[in-house]
Amino acid sequence: MRIVIADDEMLLREGLARLLSDAGFDVVGKATNATELLRSVRTTSPDVAIVDIRMPPGNSDEGLVAASEIRAAHPNIGVLILSHYLESNYAMRVLQEHPERVGYLLKERVSDIAVLADALQRISDGECVLDPTIVSRLLNKPRARSPLAELSDREREVLGLIAEGCSNNAIGKRLFLSPKTVETHIRQIFLKLDLDEQPDSHRRVLAVLTFLRA
Amino acid sequence: MKPQHVVVLVAAAAAGILSLGLAQHDPQAALGGASIPADFMLLGTGWALIVCGMAAWVRRPGSRFGRLLVAAGFAWFLAEFNNPGVGSTALFTTGLVAYAVCPVLVAHAALVYPGGALPGAIARTGISLGYASTILALGLVPTLLVDPVSHGCSQCPHDMLAIASQPALASVSSVAGLDFGLVWTLGVIAFALVGVARASPAARLVVAPVVLSAAAYLGLVAADYGHSVGRGFLSTDALDDQLWFGQAVALVALTLGVAAAWARARHARTTISRLVVHQAESGGEGGLRETLAATLADPALQLAYPLRDGRYVDASGRGMELRSEPGRAVTPLLRGSRTVAVLMHRADLLEDRGLLEEVGAAARLALERERLHAEVRAQLEQLRASRARNVETADVERRRLERNLHDGAQQRLVVLALAMGLLRPELEDEAAAELDAAGLELREALRELRELARGIYPAVLTDEGLGAAIQALAEDARAPVIIDSLPTERLSPAVEAAGYFLVAEVIRRAVTSMVNVSVRCSEGRLLVELDSAGTLSGDLVDLEDRIGALDGDLAVMRSATGHTTIRAEIPCVS
Repeated sequence: MRIVIADDEMLLREGLARLLSDAGFDVVGKATNATELLRSVRTTSPDVAIVDIRMPPGNSDEGLVAASEIRAAHPNIGVLILSHYLESNYAMRVLQEHPERVGYLLKERVSDIAVLADALQRISDGECVLDPTIVSRLLNKPRARSPLAELSDREREVLGLIAEGCSNNAIGKRLFLSPKTVETHIRQIFLKLDLDEQPDSHRRVLAVLTFLRA
Repeated sequence: MKPQHVVVLVAAAAAGILSLGLAQHDPQAALGGASIPADFMLLGTGWALIVCGMAAWVRRPGSRFGRLLVAAGFAWFLAEFNNPGVGSTALFTTGLVAYAVCPVLVAHAALVYPGGALPGAIARTGISLGYASTILALGLVPTLLVDPVSHGCSQCPHDMLAIASQPALASVSSVAGLDFGLVWTLGVIAFALVGVARASPAARLVVAPVVLSAAAYLGLVAADYGHSVGRGFLSTDALDDQLWFGQAVALVALTLGVAAAWARARHARTTISRLVVHQAESGGEGGLRETLAATLADPALQLAYPLRDGRYVDASGRGMELRSEPGRAVTPLLRGSRTVAVLMHRADLLEDRGLLEEVGAAARLALERERLHAEVRAQLEQLRASRARNVETADVERRRLERNLHDGAQQRLVVLALAMGLLRPELEDEAAAELDAAGLELREALRELRELARGIYPAVLTDEGLGAAIQALAEDARAPVIIDSLPTERLSPAVEAAGYFLVAEVIRRAVTSMVNVSVRCSEGRLLVELDSAGTLSGDLVDLEDRIGALDGDLAVMRSATGHTTIRAEIPCVS
């Protein structure tokens, strides 16, 4: 898989590049800011671009903006956003515009190549990926009265994996359940939460997230 | 009243009585005929002109108007003096020279009203020619050339100035004077009427009664001249008598016009005094400006007060600039030599100088009071601004710290984690396990740093605004946070920070109690309402500082059941 990395911190960029190439990925471009990123994506046509949320010159949300531009201009190129921020706002922003082929992970995940590789693969396959820490934060947010309380533990687990962007197959593999069981659980969950079932996994991520953020 | 005024009044009385006596003595030669109304008008008009002129002279010593009107009054009486029965040769001769000068004096006064100078070279030339014609052509030349005694008037006193006997020449001069006089009066009337038409509404109101009365008077004078051209000299037949009566009425109307202007100014002063007292009793900032704007019919009127340091502020202590735009003027209202306030008003109000002075006098006390208030408020404003600067400096520092943490320590730890990730495949089980343990510590460190950064200044507040930041707070809280409403628009960073830290602090102190949050922006104010089942111990001094620095209010209400409600209002200028 062809990857472009954009981060203004040199050690991180180089370290990540080494980690990925050791694992068999093809790092075809490295960028230090949004402009270089867009140029690199245009010229090298990677499968996924890894983007830091905060880059020069403004150091606020250049990464998010660049990610949107890439998804809009190159629908076949996925984007994985790395950030220090746990707040679901940033993730929502990204997913709302382009729910597919997009991922949002906490930067510390870079130490775990397995997680990284899995995320890149899923993004490249057209799904979306959301950091489990963010999801569990949302799930565990204290609420006064909520249909969430009516979910069984298993159903909560499944809901969490849905919010992380996992497909039914991935959920089944993770929880050692058959596809049929997974489907039943999902139907129950959506019924209890009074949500419409969505055709695609990435659109249902959005539905669940919106529900959890409310 | 000064001695010179007394002298003038005495002389006026004397002249009036003398001319009345002359009229009685020889009704045929009297200008108005011999009726009681004519006598009444003779005295009334002359004395009205002199008294009115005196009053104007005393009121505004710098203006020529008063003196001209007094002179016109005397000239009015003087017109009778070329009556044979006058007795004294001196008076008779004076009468012969100056009998026709009254119209010119009236015209001069009317064109000068209410100020002191004639408007332009045309007016100056015209008036000069008027004097020349009446005094020289109609008066002096015939006086020099003809002695009435030797031309059929046996009872006449001698003409002291007669030096030759040229009746034909005298007649020519007289006729020339009359012809010119006719043209001249019509010219002055036209000029005056054009002046009134061109004046601004405020000026017209002041000037019209006087100028129009003078025009009427001059019109009747012109009629008389026209009537007299045929015979070659001014005289006193029936038509002349009627025209004279009309002139008398017009002149009285003129004096009434002058008096009316004074009454209006006095009325304005009374109205303002009453309004000012009322406004002072009912209090309220800026009410004085409204009162004055209404009285002067200038809605865009502005009042500025001078501070000791030379700045100018409005009634609420905010800085103001003294600017004069086209069509507007700047007038200081003084008390002695001190400027109490500065009025910025419609330029044409200057034309009624008396009105502005009345306004200033009536409102002086209230202006002084408002000025003191404005000074206090200006100081408070400076204090508030300094507080706001302090808070802003602190926030800038906070944002800098957060950025440093993000770009510095957090990045380094991630790189470290990466390095460990790269190392792990090369290690044996035991070493790998130890590395994993270290990795856990690292993740903990990262988590703590993240919390720290967020507590110092959350990036989401800068990037996405108050609404998103409060939602993020809710995700993190230990107890449910019910969000009733959030602002959708972005506000100034200071206001957003104040709102955020207030909500954050309350949620933190509520610990495990539920908090209801309602934040919305309405009519230029940010309204924050927080409701908690907990007691929220401790004071909120820092937050009060933040909110006070932005000119906002904070209120904490604790009910007996242990419920706490916190309400804050912050003006938001986005």
